Amino acid sequence: MKKLTYFPGCSAHGTSEEFDSTLKLVLKTLDVELEDIPDWNCCGATSAHVMTENLAYALPMRNLVLAEKLENTTMGIACASCYQRMKVTKVHMDENPELAKRINTTVVEEGTYQGKVDVKSMLQYAYEDIGLDIIKSKVTKPLNGLKVACYYGCLLTRPKNITKFDSPEYPVSMDQICEALGATATEFDYKTECCGASFSISNTEVVENLSGQILAMAKESGAHAIVVACPLCQSNLDMRQPDIEKKQGIKYDIPIFYFTQLMALAFGYPIDQLKFPKHIVPVEGALANIGKVEPVPEKVKKPIKAVEAESEVK
Amino acid sequence: MITLGSQGKNTFLEDVNVKSGANVLECYQCGKCVGTCPVSQYMDFPPREIMQMIKLGLRNECYMANSHWFCLTCSACSGRCPREIDIPAVMEAVRHLAIDENYINDSKKVREIRKFHEIFLDMIKRYGRNYELRMMAEFNIRTRNLFKDMHLAPKALLKGKIPLGVKPLKSAKAIKRMFAIAEKLEKNK
Repeated sequence: MKKLTYFPGCSAHGTSEEFDSTLKLVLKTLDVELEDIPDWNCCGATSAHVMTENLAYALPMRNLVLAEKLENTTMGIACASCYQRMKVTKVHMDENPELAKRINTTVVEEGTYQGKVDVKSMLQYAYEDIGLDIIKSKVTKPLNGLKVACYYGCLLTRPKNITKFDSPEYPVSMDQICEALGATATEFDYKTECCGASFSISNTEVVENLSGQILAMAKESGAHAIVVACPLCQSNLDMRQPDIEKKQGIKYDIPIFYFTQLMALAFGYPIDQLKFPKHIVPVEGALANIGKVEPVPEKVKKPIKAVEAESEVK
Repeated sequence: MITLGSQGKNTFLEDVNVKSGANVLECYQCGKCVGTCPVSQYMDFPPREIMQMIKLGLRNECYMANSHWFCLTCSACSGRCPREIDIPAVMEAVRHLAIDENYINDSKKVREIRKFHEIFLDMIKRYGRNYELRMMAEFNIRTRNLFKDMHLAPKALLKGKIPLGVKPLKSAKAIKRMFAIAEKLEKNK
């Protein structure tokens, strides 16, 4: 039994409750015990670092200090934004003891920051600490036939000198996890494009534009669904999808899963435990592809040949 | 006139470099950041131009631009920058300097972006965590746009996507104290 300090983040009790609950199912199967940070607080998200420097470090630091009181050496974080704020704070504090001392004055009663606890996103933890072989060995209901576009967003792999995980341009960890579950990961070029993130409420037009491009590219890649590891990406792509469809006049109908939901499904958990009714875009259509034999694609190379012929004529 | 190292007061370039930890002078204006930036089309000046304006010491123009408010800190630009400049940190430095010196771009969009961040921080100060429903409601009230996203509300609430309440922190006092000390640190920079 492995033990892991857990930081769920505010959205785990709200918009991404299904991420939190399916993550717990998955880790139960993988024999990992989670230990919550007692009385954790919000990491400050985008707003803290947009408005002020000190608070942007102080809020994550309180959680880091509280996490050091538990015995585990690693903290796993569900939300991508919480992960990045916590990791940025950790890296900057470890690099600059003077700064750490100054920021520590804001949480002096909680304790002294020592930099003992490593910070990982749950995707990174699943990929590095658990590993594809073990994930594969737990699959009882493979997702054969389901084609997914794995969408990482900005925060899980960037900036690369902070996250030190996977590729900032074309990451593959989630693709490999999905393939281990039996699904097919499509060639998806918008893996790390921004969904509009914190503009969800204050600047919805930008989000509809950026998320619309991601949906269009996922559809074009032939995916039945998009897989994410970030609550804000999920809600931007899922909750705003009907509005995007109306604006663009295109029907996407592409559900947005957390990677933990697909893992729990492949690990054999009954469908009523996976919180699919919480999704705005219905999931049934995509899930119907599981178990279906793939039809052989009809002359995929046709358009390329046509272009070649044209250039020959010229 | 370019006033690099003018007497007494720090130049804008120095201020930004110190605050961001980057060296803006390294920028050779290739424009890769603009091509990469997902929101450059909404900016008064795209990142490449902001970099050049910093080099030229155009302090007021940079402060008043909406660019640093539109930057999403997605770090796509810095990942592709051939000079490996931390452009989001530069944008953040400009924004923090502008806030400190009370320069405020008063366009509707920037007002709304700023209001959102203020409300979000207010939620943390009050509850220690984000109270999503209340945050959205307050945003609509404070930006006088009561019906924004209301068409999403019935579905989101019925499906339990957005819960009605929030579980506040036990140590709410610790958060209030943190905010107070952090504010003091901001002032004594």
